[in-house]
Amino acid sequence: MTNQHYDAIVIGAGHNGLVAGAYLARSGKKTLILEKRHLVGGASVTEEIYPGFKFTVFSYVVSLFRPEIVRELNLPAHGLTILPLESTLTPTLDGDDYLYRDGDHYQTLRNIARFSPRDADAYDDYARSMYFMAKAVKYILGVIPPDPTTLHPKDMMGLLEMARHFLGLGQEQLYMLAKLMTMSAADFVEQWFESEPLKATLSASGIIGTFLGPRSPGTAYVLLHHYMGEIDGAYRAWGFHKGGTGGLAEVLAQAARAQGAEVRCNAGVARVLTSGGRAAGVVLENGDEIRAPLVLSSLDPKQTFLRLVDPQQLPDDLVVAVRRFQTFGSSGKVNLALDRLPELGCRPGVGRHLAGAVSISPNLDYIERAYDDAKYGHFSRRPYVDIIIPSMIDPDMAPPGKHVMSCFVQYAPYELADGDWTDARRDAFGDAVVDVLATYFPNIRDLILHRQVLTPVDVERITGITQGNIFHGELNLSQLFFLRPAPGYAKYRTPIKGYYQCGSGTHPGGGIMGAPGRLGALEALRDSRS
Amino acid sequence: MTVLYDTIIIGAGHNGLVAAATLAAGGQRVLVLEQRPALGGVAGAEEAWPGYYVPTGATDAALLQEEIIRKLDLGRHGLAFAQPPALLFAPQPDGRSLTIWRDEARTTAEIARLSRHDAERWPAFRAQVERVARLLSGMLLLAPPDLSALRGGDLKGWAPLALRLKRLGDADMMELMRILPMAVRDYLDEWFESDVLKGALGGSAVVGATLGPRGAGTNLGFLYQNLGGLLQVRPVAGGMGALAAALAAAARARGAEIRTGAAVERILIEGDLEPVAAGVVLHSGETIRAGVVLSNADPRRTLFDLVGPQHLEPETMRAVRNIIYRGSTARVDLALNGLPDFAGATGTEQLGGRIRVSPSLDYIERAYDAAKYGRASERPYLEIVIPTLNDPSLAPAGHHILTITALYAPYALRDGDWAGQAPAFGDAVLDVLEGVAPGTRATVVHCRVVTPLDLEQRYGLTEGSIYHGQMGLDQMLVMRPIPGWSRYET
Repeated sequence: MTNQHYDAIVIGAGHNGLVAGAYLARSGKKTLILEKRHLVGGASVTEEIYPGFKFTVFSYVVSLFRPEIVRELNLPAHGLTILPLESTLTPTLDGDDYLYRDGDHYQTLRNIARFSPRDADAYDDYARSMYFMAKAVKYILGVIPPDPTTLHPKDMMGLLEMARHFLGLGQEQLYMLAKLMTMSAADFVEQWFESEPLKATLSASGIIGTFLGPRSPGTAYVLLHHYMGEIDGAYRAWGFHKGGTGGLAEVLAQAARAQGAEVRCNAGVARVLTSGGRAAGVVLENGDEIRAPLVLSSLDPKQTFLRLVDPQQLPDDLVVAVRRFQTFGSSGKVNLALDRLPELGCRPGVGRHLAGAVSISPNLDYIERAYDDAKYGHFSRRPYVDIIIPSMIDPDMAPPGKHVMSCFVQYAPYELADGDWTDARRDAFGDAVVDVLATYFPNIRDLILHRQVLTPVDVERITGITQGNIFHGELNLSQLFFLRPAPGYAKYRTPIKGYYQCGSGTHPGGGIMGAPGRLGALEALRDSRS
Repeated sequence: MTVLYDTIIIGAGHNGLVAAATLAAGGQRVLVLEQRPALGGVAGAEEAWPGYYVPTGATDAALLQEEIIRKLDLGRHGLAFAQPPALLFAPQPDGRSLTIWRDEARTTAEIARLSRHDAERWPAFRAQVERVARLLSGMLLLAPPDLSALRGGDLKGWAPLALRLKRLGDADMMELMRILPMAVRDYLDEWFESDVLKGALGGSAVVGATLGPRGAGTNLGFLYQNLGGLLQVRPVAGGMGALAAALAAAARARGAEIRTGAAVERILIEGDLEPVAAGVVLHSGETIRAGVVLSNADPRRTLFDLVGPQHLEPETMRAVRNIIYRGSTARVDLALNGLPDFAGATGTEQLGGRIRVSPSLDYIERAYDAAKYGRASERPYLEIVIPTLNDPSLAPAGHHILTITALYAPYALRDGDWAGQAPAFGDAVLDVLEGVAPGTRATVVHCRVVTPLDLEQRYGLTEGSIYHGQMGLDQMLVMRPIPGWSRYET
């Protein structure tokens, strides 16, 4: 058994773990980041699943990443390269027409007007409203959630400051925000629009990663969550990182190493060592002990509290709250290696439109029915699919002339009504996705060289995320802000001194944002200074 | 023309009558105008067939605020309640049943037959629901504060509530903030394992909303429906008509005048730059002047039909147009020549409260699925009361009235219309009823289906929404009826 000493250990080298490790090292802590897999990134990895073809295996786009992290860790110097994803193409149900929106504002309005002139008129007002909403809410992404029940001066100040921020918004925006927090995505967008492809494709942002349909109240908030992305100051700008999301993880690992952190792969953590109610280090799966007075877990709350430490060491209310924390996974992924570029039936030929997203969300009922299947324990027979072709944006992703296609799919419930996810059921799910693809890309079947199908169970098996929930836990009002992951434990601390949380299960939640990693590390550093 | 009244109240629904009594008690000259011949609006009763009196809308007064009963001294004006021993009876298609009794020990024993775990959890569950409900009712008696002007006077009204919140303790307060926005299904799943119990409880959450039990915020609906105590029922002695009569008597005793058969055509607005309400114009052409006009009608009717869009700001118009009404509650009234033979019922003792047919939360969810696509449920969720058990005089001897609230019957049907589909929906309701009370169909003497369209046409409820707007999280308290307008002024 070897004995090694560090000032701080970060468990998990996903994007949040890497960010946390970089911040700790930047403050002079001798930091070790531990990853159970052979590569860094967690759910933001790029892997050559089929020779020559690089798959963005799980996450595939970047938009929420916090600009203060880019600045503070000087990420461009370590290779940060975000390529813009400029367009979204939404085919109609039978695939003979499409709605196309891109950076050409007036052309986009004309395209919308083909479906509804009224919607084209309302589009600017909607965009402006969402811009202001995202700007208003962006504020909370950078703050530690104050506890509204204590009278501690710091919490009171935090609450006051927040009240001042939100009350400064003005009546109309304040009420719109309250509506956004509570409505369904469909009801929200129907305040402006009437044409189906536009309503559906906008609402789809409200269901990504959740076990809810577009008509479920609460999805308007998730919609906003996806609008908070900011790349170079432009809101709702989606981007693709050079080399896929694994490329971003490499940049973060590089930045952490540059600050002096050590990143060790193939080093899964079995448990956190404690001594006298304090964190003392970790024990690896191979039995090695590594000592450090600071331990940060970037894993999800169930792993952090129920697996890495003995729940008996924790207060009952926390254990109860973490057990009932909703982590039900509902998304799947299908990654394809293609012999050549596929063509859309509604817009044949090769063009810039294939360098953007293709959203299979022809109408609200289509997505809602996909959800109906899932809520009774079946994968969607006709799922919602968000498609990008990474090799169109970054040619290095596939051999010359060949392509990779990334398909994010909903819904694939973590648990099925008729038994476990077997290989046969996974194949059936993959077939359902390819059937949908073939409706819109008629020649796709002939082009598939390799198909990788991932269910939430696969996501859990490979990444370790409980139930394969891409956000580490549902983004609903009962699990946000000072309630994330549990009331009284939302400030990244745990009842064990020296043991911190810094994953997506904490405020402000999932997506490749990095904010939990940064805020968790800053809180740990604040405590270690005082 | 001289001003005869200080205040005119449009609509003699229960809120109109309460407002009249409250204002008249303050010394105002009050006139209440009701377009129908009967009082009470949807909180009244009517003779549906000769000798059969059915409740128009509400079937009991469990939510009527205790403070209002006391202040208006409604007991002296003839209001009395029956106390059925069973609060809720849930017959199951498989022949089993669940009864929630007024008596807690009896209830826990009953639940233990389904699940020992659930029986052990029941007392703590009841305690939490009632603790939170007390807090919510505290909020209901206050005019909601204006969010964007949180200063001075507004804060004062909320100070007692803030204090009460504080006294709840930090843990309870956090818990309240956590559970209010939840889906009722998630909330009940945290407590119980029995589908039968969860199905029976969950029905409370969706009445008056076009939402399923998986919808976030339905837990607020659940808590709201249980404000008077968990699953509390309070049938009015003499039927719901007696409540309207007591409210009217209380108003008249304080000097208010009530005119029926007086439909208001529009609200009289005077002044161009600073328009003020000056009275009302009746359908008959008669003009009645008053300094203040209070509307008991729902927001869309009040602002669009009675005031008129020319007097409103465009933003207000849009906000009112965007109110979600979405009525999806239908009523099926049955006159029977005998009592239905419910599965698992041993006598009439279990049947005096509410009877719910909702074997599981998924049953309700599936009923809701149809409404999402603009169809009526093939297997609707039913909430039944038998008013004749508490007051036999409401029907001829030996006969009974079954008043069934059935979900989901969406106001806006995608195919066809309610005139064509009402009979089929009535049949679907009878099929479900037959499944838990075989033989009932043969005892039907009269049957009528009241669709959301009927509710709109007869009682002026926009889209048949029985709560004047969907009770979703996005339309409660400060957000009701539209943001910035929750303080009753227009």
